[in-house]
Amino acid sequence: MKWGMVIDLQKCTGCGECAAACKLENNVAIVDSGESEMGRTMLWMDMLTIYEGEYPRLRVRQIPRPCMHCDHPPCTKVCPVRATYLNDEGIVAQIYPQCIGCRYCMAACPYTVKSFNWYKPEFPPGMARATNPDVSVRPVGVVEKCTFCIHRLQVAKEQAKFEARDLREGDFQPACADSCPTGAIVFGDLENRDHQVNRLAHSPRAEKLLEDLGTEPKVIYLKEVD
Amino acid sequence: MNKKTIEALQILSISLIWMLFTGIAVWIVSLLKESLRLHDAPDASVGISIVAIPVFFTLASILTYVFIGLRKGRKEESEP
Amino acid sequence: MEHASARPHPDAALLNPIENPGKMYYYIVVGLLVIILYTGFVYVRQLWYGLGVTGMAQPVTWGFYIINFVFFIGISHAGTLISAILRLSKAEWRRPITRMAEVITAIVLAIGGLHPIIDLGRPDRISHLFFNGRLQSPLLWDVASITAYFTASTIYLYIPLIPDIAILRDRGVKPRWLYEFLAWGWQGTERQHKVLDRAMNILMVMVIPIAVSVHTIISYIFAMTVQPGWHSTIFGPYFVVGAIFSGIAAILVLMIVFRKVFHLEGYLKHIHFNYLSILLLIMSLIWFYFTFSEYLTGFYGHEPNEMRVFWYKFAGDFAPYFWAMIVCNFALPVALLCNSKTRTIPGILIASISVIIGMWMERLIIVVPSLANPRLPYPTGIYIPSHTEWMLFLGGISVFILGYMIFARFFPVISIWEIEEGRHESAKIVTERITSYMPDPEPSTAGE
Repeated sequence: MKWGMVIDLQKCTGCGECAAACKLENNVAIVDSGESEMGRTMLWMDMLTIYEGEYPRLRVRQIPRPCMHCDHPPCTKVCPVRATYLNDEGIVAQIYPQCIGCRYCMAACPYTVKSFNWYKPEFPPGMARATNPDVSVRPVGVVEKCTFCIHRLQVAKEQAKFEARDLREGDFQPACADSCPTGAIVFGDLENRDHQVNRLAHSPRAEKLLEDLGTEPKVIYLKEVD
Repeated sequence: MNKKTIEALQILSISLIWMLFTGIAVWIVSLLKESLRLHDAPDASVGISIVAIPVFFTLASILTYVFIGLRKGRKEESEP
Repeated sequence: MEHASARPHPDAALLNPIENPGKMYYYIVVGLLVIILYTGFVYVRQLWYGLGVTGMAQPVTWGFYIINFVFFIGISHAGTLISAILRLSKAEWRRPITRMAEVITAIVLAIGGLHPIIDLGRPDRISHLFFNGRLQSPLLWDVASITAYFTASTIYLYIPLIPDIAILRDRGVKPRWLYEFLAWGWQGTERQHKVLDRAMNILMVMVIPIAVSVHTIISYIFAMTVQPGWHSTIFGPYFVVGAIFSGIAAILVLMIVFRKVFHLEGYLKHIHFNYLSILLLIMSLIWFYFTFSEYLTGFYGHEPNEMRVFWYKFAGDFAPYFWAMIVCNFALPVALLCNSKTRTIPGILIASISVIIGMWMERLIIVVPSLANPRLPYPTGIYIPSHTEWMLFLGGISVFILGYMIFARFFPVISIWEIEEGRHESAKIVTERITSYMPDPEPSTAGE
C-alpha cells in the first residue's frame, strides 16, 4: 500500500477550499496578522502562486501544495530523534511528542512544507471549542506538517475491520480531497490498479514537483493542456 | 584540606572520567543498534561512529597514564 | 592575600595576574555578570514563551543561534589545532602562545556547543537525543564529535598546565587545595617529565584529526541537505579553513589585549605577532581561494535555484554583507598584512578584528540566504534578528570574556615552565637540529 494524491490542474480553479478545509480538519493554529507578516503563517496545504509568461500574456495561477510525502524524504534523514519517518504505507508521519524542535527537517525540505509552532497554538475566541477531536493540538516548539489526514485512515481501517471487509477506495479521503468542489484532488493507493490515482499517475500529463532531486514525491500534478 | 582527601578526590575524578567515557561508548553502541534495527543509517555513518569510541578511550587512557606516571615518578621521600 | 613568594620569581610578570589581580579586574567581572544575568533572563523568557520571541520564521528557520554556533566553534579551532601544529612542527616561538590558544578552545567550545540547545524549540526534550537518537542525522555526528573535541582539548589544555600548577602550589597561592588537587604530585622529576612529554606527544597527534573532523561535521549539517548553496562537496574543508582563519584572528586579538593589560611585552614580542600574522595572511588567501571556487562553480553550473541564492548574495538583499565579508576577510587583512610597514601591532589588531567580523558574516551568509530562497515559488524570506537573539549573542561573548578572565585569575596564561625550558634547552636543541639538517661535513674535517 502506498498512499498518494493526484492534483489535476486542469480542474483546479485555485479557490483555496482545500487549504481552508485542511486548516479546520487538522486544528492548524491561526496566528495573528503581525506573526503572519513575519512569515509564520501555518498552512499544511498551502497555495503556490505561479507566474507564467510576461505582460501582456501574463498568467497567474494558484496551485495547491500539500506535503509531497516523498519516497526518499530529505526531512526524515536528518531528524536526530526520529520524530518524522516514512511509515509502511508511504506516509511521512510526524511524532509530535518526540520532536525536540531543532527545525533541521524544515531546513532540509526542498518543498518547504513544514511549519513550526513558534508560540503555543492559539485559536480565535469560540474556535477553540470547535477543534477536531480526532487530531491533537500540537504543543509549542514542535514541527508539524500535512499527514494525509492519517487520523481518517485509522477511522476508516477500524470501520472496515468492524464491517469485516477490505478498505475501499472511498473509505479514506483526506479533507482536501473531500472538500474540493471540482474534484481536482484525487486520493488513493498508488499501487492498487483499481484506484483512480493509479491510472491518473500514469497519465502523460503527470508531473512531479522538483522531480530531478530524486525525492520521488507521491503527490502528482496533472499538467494543464491548453 | 589534608593529603588523604585530595588523593581521594583525584582518584574519584579519574574514575568519573572513565565512567563518562564508558557512558558515551554505551550510548554510541545503542545508537548503532537502533540504526541497524531501523535500517536507516548508511554504512559509512556506522563506520565513522565506531571510530569515535576508541577516541574516547584513548583520551581516558592518556589521562590515566599521566596520573599514574606522575605518582610513580615522585621523589622517594614523598612516598608514604 | 598571603604569598609564600619570598624570592622573586624570574617570570614574576606571568604570576602577577594571579597574585595581584587588582581592582579593575573585579569591576569588569561585575559588569560582565550583569550582562550575563540579563541574558539569562532573556533566555528564560524565550523558554517561557517559545521561540516566537526570536526573529526566525518560515522559511528562514535558522538564525543567529545556528550562525553563532558555527562561528564560536570556528573560533575554537584557534587553540588546540594551532598549538598542536606549532608544537608538532617544533616551532620554538610557540612557547608563549600555545596556552592562550588552548584556553580559547576550551571556553569557546563550551559556549558554541550550547547554541544548538538554545536553538531547540523543546529543550526539555533533550534527553530524546540520548534515548531515541538516530545516527543517521548529522546533528548526532556533531554531538559526538564536539564532545570528543571538548574533552580532548580540555585534556590537552590541562596536561601541559600541570607543572605550572605545581609552581603555584609551591608558592602557596590560594586556594591551596585546588592547586594541590590539580598538580597531581608534580615534582619535576625526570621520570615525570618523560611521562608528560609522551602524553603530550600522543595528544597533539590525536587532537589534529579530531579538530578537523569537528568543523567538517558542522559543515555536513548544511552540506548533507539538498538545498541550493549548501549542498557542496567543498564545504568540509571550506569550513575548516574558515575556522582556523577566525581562530588565528582571535588569538592575535587576545595576545594584544594581554600584552597591553598585563605588560607582557617581554614575552609577546613583535616576532610572535609577525609570525602569526603571516599565518593569518596565508589563511586569508586560502579562504579567498575556497570562496572563489565555491561561488565560481555555482555560477558556471547555472542551476536556476543555485543562481537565485547566488544573486541574492551578490546583488540582492545580502549584497552589503557579502561584499563587506570580502573586504573584512580578504581585502583589508591582505592589504594590511602584506606591507611590513602596516604589519605593526595596531595594524594586526585591525586586521584580526576585521577577520573576526568577516568570518561571522560568512556564517550569516551561508546560513540565511539558502533558507530565504526556497526552491518553490514562495516569497523570499525575511530575517530580522530580535532583541533576544542579539542579547544571547552578546551574552555568549560575555561568557567567553568572563571565562577567560577567571582562567587567567587562577592559572598563568603563558606557560611558565615551557618558557623556562625554552630558556635553558631550546637553543641547544635547535642548534643540534639545524646541524642535523645540514649536509655532512667533508670527511677530511669530520674525522677525529
